[in-house]
Amino acid sequence: MNGWTGQILRVNLTTKTSKIETFSEEFARKWIGGRGFAVKILYDELKPGIDPLGPDNKLIVAVGPIAGIPAPNTGKTVVAAKSPITGGYGDGNLGTRITEHLRRCGYDALIVEGRADRPTMLYIEDDKVEFLPADEVWGKGTYATNDWIYAKYGKGVGVLNIGQGGENLVRYAVIRSLEGRAGGRPGMGAVMGSKRLKAIVAKGTKPIPQADPAGMKKLGHDDLKKVHEIDKQSGWSIQSTTGVLAWCNEVAALPVRNFRKTHHPDAWKVDGERLNNARIATYGCPNCTMRCGITIHDDAGRESELDYENVGLLGPNLEIFDLPQVAALNYMCDDYGIDTMSGGCVLSFYADAVDHGAVAGDIRFGEAEKFKKILTAIALRQGEVGNLLAEGSLRAARKIGKGSEAYAMQVKGLEVAAYNCKFIPGMALAFGVSPIGAHHKESWVITFELKQTSRESYGPEKAQKVIDLQRIRGGLFEYIVACRFPWIELGWGLENYPKYFNAVSGLNWTLDDFWTVSDRVYAMIKLFWLREYPQTDRKLDYPPAVWFDPANVDTEGPIAGQHLEYDKYDGLLQHYYDIRGYDRRGIPTRATLERLGLAAEAKAAEKFGSLT
Amino acid sequence: MKITVKLIGPFVNQLGFSEKEMEVALSSTVEGLLALVGIDKARPRIVTRNGRAVAPGEEVREGDRIVISPLYSGG
Repeated sequence: MNGWTGQILRVNLTTKTSKIETFSEEFARKWIGGRGFAVKILYDELKPGIDPLGPDNKLIVAVGPIAGIPAPNTGKTVVAAKSPITGGYGDGNLGTRITEHLRRCGYDALIVEGRADRPTMLYIEDDKVEFLPADEVWGKGTYATNDWIYAKYGKGVGVLNIGQGGENLVRYAVIRSLEGRAGGRPGMGAVMGSKRLKAIVAKGTKPIPQADPAGMKKLGHDDLKKVHEIDKQSGWSIQSTTGVLAWCNEVAALPVRNFRKTHHPDAWKVDGERLNNARIATYGCPNCTMRCGITIHDDAGRESELDYENVGLLGPNLEIFDLPQVAALNYMCDDYGIDTMSGGCVLSFYADAVDHGAVAGDIRFGEAEKFKKILTAIALRQGEVGNLLAEGSLRAARKIGKGSEAYAMQVKGLEVAAYNCKFIPGMALAFGVSPIGAHHKESWVITFELKQTSRESYGPEKAQKVIDLQRIRGGLFEYIVACRFPWIELGWGLENYPKYFNAVSGLNWTLDDFWTVSDRVYAMIKLFWLREYPQTDRKLDYPPAVWFDPANVDTEGPIAGQHLEYDKYDGLLQHYYDIRGYDRRGIPTRATLERLGLAAEAKAAEKFGSLT
Repeated sequence: MKITVKLIGPFVNQLGFSEKEMEVALSSTVEGLLALVGIDKARPRIVTRNGRAVAPGEEVREGDRIVISPLYSGG
């Protein structure tokens, strides 16, 4: 089967056994890889209601058919499981050498089951699978763990590892790789930690099955050069993603003080210009020629790789306007293996709750040194505060009570990304309907809203745009598995991706063929949620309440006095459901599921929740 | 009339400034301003006036803060 190895490696940490399973061409074409494989496997194999941090959860590591082959930004892997922070489907992707190595070991996916009896490193080398002790690095951060692995196997291997955050089951612990790459925001690192799995290391030497290896090699290499040239011409990677910080500040979309404010006069101190001026290195994913990881020294002299989300949520969101201090918090999150985005939002939630008197605490916005101590307490689950905040902002708020849920900036339990949607309805919708909880990776419509429609509009064109982008960002790029940056930031033609897919698979797909897969994957994720939350309601697809609150409006600036409106948002949400063929709860109808080839899955879901 | 022009992202390096006050003619349009600043016509961008998106044909006014940014897409 060209394009796919046709094999999945299943390992059981309890029994220390492994087996190779095959999948059909039909499965491959229906789900493609990455997120598609992950959600289908998890839906079929997990019983609803299992504890995400228990041994019955499964960690999926899944690549796509173009993964690992030199071509623009194909060095990414999807990690997925039932999420400890949302209780629904969770996944993430990260740049890692595991991508190519897993494929060269002969696998398109890895399923990790059970729980080891001691800290374990899973080592995969071609046909060899070993369960090795990792006691030596249990309790150590991801950087030290990485160094330990490299000392054993050299720097060329593929590595996924966790820090203390994952070991201590922080619900938003991530999986880490390379210098500063991280993925799996909804707690994939905690799933690894719950299995006592400290690291996965892979080294593969087999060829990747392709229909036209020579043709793909030339195409991929030529296109990598072209993307590099476009980036040089455009200058995008001079400030990389952090270039948007100054713009968000200008258009009142920056998260400041737990999203209470939308801009700040000191934001310039941590913007893309300052970051570029402080740059000491640039890191990126494998097969990337527009590397986005601007690295600076933090306030302890350590290398810290930053992008917009880290800076936005650990900087202005905490009212910290000192780049080395922001870099320090970022370094700590990376070393502990905690999601920088949720980490920033949980810290800001706590400061806000203290500020409003909902809970007693010794923290004020801007106090970087105290935030660092709290971050350590979270990673190590030390004390009452550490344990409380390790649960995420929603659980913490529910425990605190006193209306503190108002300060938890989350959707379905997953904290929002660094875009303050106080008056950006389409982006608020994008957060609300993101299938894993609030995340901008699925869809980002702010420029569209400001330039092509208007902030005031809640019209169906915004819902359509969210869906159009979900099909690409949350669909295509998550199951073909590649980084969307060349397309989304440099205008690299989307038509190139079917070209790569067809070159490796020998098929003749167009983009339209992929949109059906995208809709199918989204519907499948919805069925996963329905089984976990049979009483699901459209309210789960709402963004944070504070954006609707008249008491929270800006008092000056471009959106002074304005806020989201519930009835209008509900109308926008209904547009989204109507276009997608979902019912009033946001669940795909039977007709939609049948159209997408999910009749059997629909029947399985109906044992737990109703379908319309 | 005096306006402030702020550039975002790679425009800063390409045009050699981040933010400056400029003296422009009355009835200057956004399009005219872009040409004056030196923005490549072919480069997709978004222009805001005092935080709100503005069309190329619109006039700028005394004291406006004009921000010119490439089209970011949320990374």
